[in-house]
Amino acid sequence: MPGVTRLSVRNLRKSFGTHEVLKGISMDAQDGDVISVLGASGSGKSTFLRCINLLETPSGGEVWVDGKQIRMLNGRGGSRPASRAQVDHIRSELGMVFQGFNLWSHMTILQNVIEGPLHVLKRPKAECIAVAEELLAKVGIADKRHAYPAHLSGGQQQRAAIARALAMKPKVMLFDEPTSALDPELVGEVLRVMRALAEEGMTMLVVTHEMSFARNVSNRVVFMRDGIVDSSGAPEDMFGAGASPAFRQFIGHFGNPQ
Amino acid sequence: MDFAFLSSTMVTLIRAVPTTLVLFSLSILCGGILALGITALRVSGNPVLSGFAKAYIFVFRGSPLLIQMFLVFYGLGQFGVIRYSFLWPFLREPIVCAVLSLALCTAGYTAEIFRGGIRAVPAKEIEAARSVGMSGFLLVRRIIAPIAFRHALPAYSTEIVLMMKSTALASLVTVWEVTGVAQRLISQTYRTMEVFLCAALIYLVLNFIILQAMNLLEYSLSRHRRPFAPGLRA
Amino acid sequence: MAAWELLGLGAKGWGAFLLVAAVTTLAVTATALAIGAVAGAAIAAAKLSGSVILRVIGHVYTTVFRGVPELLIIYLIYFGGSSGLTAVGAWLGYDGFLGLPSFAAGALAVGIISGAYQAEVFRGAFHAIPRGELEAAMAIGMSRRLRLRRIIVPQVLRFAIPGLGNVWQLSLKDSALVSVTGLVELMRASQIASGSTRQYFLFYIVGGALYLILTSLSDRVFNTAERRANRSMSASTIGGA
Ligand SMILES: Nc1ncnc2c1ncn2[C@@H]1O[C@H](COP(=O)(O)OP(=O)(O)OP(=O)(O)O)[C@@H](O)[C@H]1O
Ligand SMILES: [Mg+2]
Repeated sequence: MPGVTRLSVRNLRKSFGTHEVLKGISMDAQDGDVISVLGASGSGKSTFLRCINLLETPSGGEVWVDGKQIRMLNGRGGSRPASRAQVDHIRSELGMVFQGFNLWSHMTILQNVIEGPLHVLKRPKAECIAVAEELLAKVGIADKRHAYPAHLSGGQQQRAAIARALAMKPKVMLFDEPTSALDPELVGEVLRVMRALAEEGMTMLVVTHEMSFARNVSNRVVFMRDGIVDSSGAPEDMFGAGASPAFRQFIGHFGNPQ
Repeated sequence: MDFAFLSSTMVTLIRAVPTTLVLFSLSILCGGILALGITALRVSGNPVLSGFAKAYIFVFRGSPLLIQMFLVFYGLGQFGVIRYSFLWPFLREPIVCAVLSLALCTAGYTAEIFRGGIRAVPAKEIEAARSVGMSGFLLVRRIIAPIAFRHALPAYSTEIVLMMKSTALASLVTVWEVTGVAQRLISQTYRTMEVFLCAALIYLVLNFIILQAMNLLEYSLSRHRRPFAPGLRA
Repeated sequence: MAAWELLGLGAKGWGAFLLVAAVTTLAVTATALAIGAVAGAAIAAAKLSGSVILRVIGHVYTTVFRGVPELLIIYLIYFGGSSGLTAVGAWLGYDGFLGLPSFAAGALAVGIISGAYQAEVFRGAFHAIPRGELEAAMAIGMSRRLRLRRIIVPQVLRFAIPGLGNVWQLSLKDSALVSVTGLVELMRASQIASGSTRQYFLFYIVGGALYLILTSLSDRVFNTAERRANRSMSASTIGGA
């Protein structure tokens, strides 16, 4: 449903001790949006993603997922989620793909993929397996379904991790530098999967250093600097004449992406 | 709480502490020396010698200390050779048997710990020592042993605390150390909990002192890992 | 009588007696390990919890039960347990001495000690779980309980196997101390056999040898278990799955 706001972040703040990492970030993702989040190391990109699904507890601000706000309590020791059950539910609607894959090492690839649908969503096992096999075929590792994560290459593990997240039928997919831990020759296979997802209309928020992805796949680019959104816009504008000086300097480090 | 009883129990138990300490220090000392010998055999490269060391370690680590102690205490006297030898006046003494078996046992564990320490000595440092002409005992004394000991120290501290606990078994061959006295008090008074608390406190304090001493030793041996501190001299 | 007759399985021999006692030793140790697993899991959870009080309790437990002689703890449980039982009996109208069965007292005492060591093993194993795998479990919406059941416990068990092997060996040897309660396990049986025959040396050697067999056999079992559990970690089984 284009036009539906899948994810909305209002004035998100996060401090670690006295160190304020996010200084009020706002962002909306409509259905089908593919937003690339760019920024220098330490600018707070990971923290931003992790605050959205409460892997970090935001110090302030609002997060809305598919029209529902994550309820927070503001007490003496800072803020905390009002309901653990709601957090678990919201997380199940957000797919997260990590830089380090984070597949469960004691489970096979298939077990990794069916774990969430089977035990969190409590779907029938046969259905979970059918969906999982379809997803594994889609990301191109159907033949590895009975292998353990340790037996796969980084690129295969990351594709399995994407399948695991997709198996939850998430409203929004969050990617935190999904290709940064990969050898250069394995980056392409993961980007292809992500591109295919984008073309299917998945709503995606992608922290990345892959300028070609930001430029050619996403429909919006957000540039973060020192915990704020420095500038954002369509890739044509951002990579074209409309770039802020800071962004221009930032992409200067990457050469000119095609 | 009956403080009069607790304090009189404490006094009685503390009178047994010297015996515990004698058992402990003698067996650590003898066991340590024995362990050095066994470690030397174990790493000698000679298959017969290292096989003997392996068997020794296997036997003393694989069976309970209590059965080893009873074997020494009751078993040795069975042999005329020992009964009529000049050693008998010593070996007849329960405390000698206790120290002997404690030392034999800890030597097995300690030898394994020392060997671990030796394996942690970087080959490059040994090569470097050889390149300046060191070899044999000099190489061991100046290079290998100090480095190995530093590596072995944490595990050795653990073993020493285990030994402190093991001295309790001496009470079963009639040496009246802290646990033995505690047991006697329990059977006289039936006040198990109070006696246990007093005895436990004594052991915990002893352990604490030992661990502090070992930490101090570890600290003083790790100067090379600390940032350079001017004005601090050995 | 010759040594082989003394050790025989027949009426005059002590062989069967010792073998049965060895089984008792295994039973005490296994029961103790099970008790220790429960205690150890609870203490590890306390030490890993956010509550200061629970952490202090956990810390005191492991310090006391790893630092105080095993023999003393056996006395505490055996004599203390019996006085407790007698008191309960008196309250219920039975006035007479009620002894805690020596098997129960021994297994409980060794179990409590083993729990202190197992707590440390479990805690180490918990820390060995890659943080990212726990985050992935949270990110997928698993509740605390589900994470515990599906991710934490299976991984802790896997990482804990070598440590549990060590604790088992420790408890096996500690179980010899249960002989002071009169339970006829391998140590006590060796004592009885050697005392009745005056063949101290022979029977303590045989008893010791039986312990060596038990420890080395259990070593093998744990090594196999470790290999099995780590199949998913090693590259050697590619294609074998
Ligand atoms: N758990 C934490 N405790 C304290 N400080 C933290 C924590 N996590 C992140 N930070 C700090 O927050 C800042 C932003 O970190 P973050 O990981 O979000 O950056 P990033 O933009 O993702 O960088 P990179 O591109 O290197 O991944 C950094 O200065 C980091 O040191
Ligand atoms: Mg990051």
